Amino acid sequence: MKTIDEVLNDNGGGLYYGNRVLLPFKAEILKIVIDSDIITDFSKELKGASVRATDAYTEIYFYDYKDLEEELSKYDIIKIVLVQSGDDLFDFNNHIPIELSIESKHKLSIKKISDDIIFFE
Amino acid sequence: MKKHILVFLFSVLMLFSVSNKLIAQETKQGEAKTEVVQNNEIEKVEHELPNPLMVLPFVILLIMIATGPIFYHHFWEHHYPKISVVLGTITAAYYWFILNDTHSLLHTAAEYFSFIALLASLFFASGGIMIKVDKKATPLLNVSILLFGAVIANLIGTTGASMLLIRPFIKINQDRMKPYLVVFFIFIVSNIGGALTPIGDPPLFLGFLRGIDFFWFFEHIWYIWLPTIILITTIFYFIDIRNKGDETEKEYTGKIEFKGAKNLIYLLIILLAVFVDPNVMSWVPNLSPSPIGLREIIQFSVVLFAIKTSDKEILRYNEFDVEPIREVAFLFVGIFATMIPALQLISYEANLLGDKLTAGMFFWSTGLLSGVLDNAPTYLNFLSAAMGKFGLDINSQADVKEFMMLDVIFLQAISVAAVFFGAMTYIGNGPNFMVKSIVERAGIKMPSFFAYVYRYSLPILIPLFILVWLVFYF
Repeated sequence: MKTIDEVLNDNGGGLYYGNRVLLPFKAEILKIVIDSDIITDFSKELKGASVRATDAYTEIYFYDYKDLEEELSKYDIIKIVLVQSGDDLFDFNNHIPIELSIESKHKLSIKKISDDIIFFE
Repeated sequence: MKKHILVFLFSVLMLFSVSNKLIAQETKQGEAKTEVVQNNEIEKVEHELPNPLMVLPFVILLIMIATGPIFYHHFWEHHYPKISVVLGTITAAYYWFILNDTHSLLHTAAEYFSFIALLASLFFASGGIMIKVDKKATPLLNVSILLFGAVIANLIGTTGASMLLIRPFIKINQDRMKPYLVVFFIFIVSNIGGALTPIGDPPLFLGFLRGIDFFWFFEHIWYIWLPTIILITTIFYFIDIRNKGDETEKEYTGKIEFKGAKNLIYLLIILLAVFVDPNVMSWVPNLSPSPIGLREIIQFSVVLFAIKTSDKEILRYNEFDVEPIREVAFLFVGIFATMIPALQLISYEANLLGDKLTAGMFFWSTGLLSGVLDNAPTYLNFLSAAMGKFGLDINSQADVKEFMMLDVIFLQAISVAAVFFGAMTYIGNGPNFMVKSIVERAGIKMPSFFAYVYRYSLPILIPLFILVWLVFYF
């Protein structure tokens, strides 16, 4: 399985189905910004989002967005701060901000957040 | 679903129809006047006053607008268009079928299209402009941006100025970001700044559409606007100098990058189009009874041009989303329709109350309600009340012109209060929520609705507004 850096360097993508997002790496997610919702609580309360990381992928379920394709506009992006699984979570240098954009046919583009986009961790 | 809505609408209409007749039997109803332009001649048409119960759709809609985004966000997000349209339809159907008053409806439709054409064109034109500032944030630079925002809010609206400046403002403060920075931005750029022209803030534009001269606001408000802006930026400065931020080794080029020049031309066209009105320029054709005039045609054309030609890279940088303007368009369909009875009844009641109402009362009542409701409809309601005090009718442009000359202090108090107090809460004025949303999309946690009020509005704005009241309206 690829690391986050490899996916970003290869312009790799993920998948989405309805409210489920699949990322092709194993990661610890620290913060998600979707629309104007800031999600940092990934406990089991059915609010915000839940995250599950397997050896093959990391998946996110958004509880308040039933269909991402329908609810996000053309210029909307999902911003995420994450850390490669196994890396030191407490070292800020390992924190990677990425942006996800919805594309057609369930494809999800994954890019490192550019300097142009204003994003606060 | 549609069948249920129709049954519901029919039942509500029947209820109002019956209660209207009962009230009419018990009390002598007053009359509402509407101005109708036929063959370039103004004719006043008198209609029966609406049943007081018809204010309910307006009250329900305002309460839902105030509480929806906070307490039932996702339900509201999905259903506000239906709620607004259904409530608006109830009032429209009541006027059409029960009062047989199509004049008020037509008048309101024309006002709605003027309002939404201006806001939409400013929104789309400013969305295609990008300003990048690569400078180190200092309290002085922040004050300069806020002052600049306050001034340009009068040229491109508080909505346009907020959309244009909020991103560079938070970008330069990246290493010292604190919620108070955004709150003061909302106070100054999204609200108080725009008190000098009808383009500045939606309530004033509604006043302009009713007949108040374009330059009346500048002439009679600048001497309140200026000290208020100086005071609030001074408070900001002294809070901001205490913010040392994170130590960073980042080097700044000092460069200011601007992209989207053609959209500046669009903004200029929008601004000039405001004056393309048969009441301002005699050569402008009156397209009455069409609710859309030449001004609106120009402004809607700008929307189309801006959609077609705005730079995609800039739209992406601005994370451009049509949702905020879609929301305004839908909500204001409901607000404009449901507020017709409220406006007519308030005007009638104020006429009866007469001398008991002072300018100070108008200042506080317009202000406090503007803070918790949207300030645009609140402004019209209190303008209606103030005019009613002098036996004048807000639906008559001749009456509005007379009122404008008659007693400056009332119109001034209402205008100042509607604009200034719009800053009291996130829901006081359209741009407040837009700024909050842009900032949260950047990952910054903003104060909750109540925290905004008790941490910022009450300790900062209220003392300032008391001062304005003591100096000008006490």
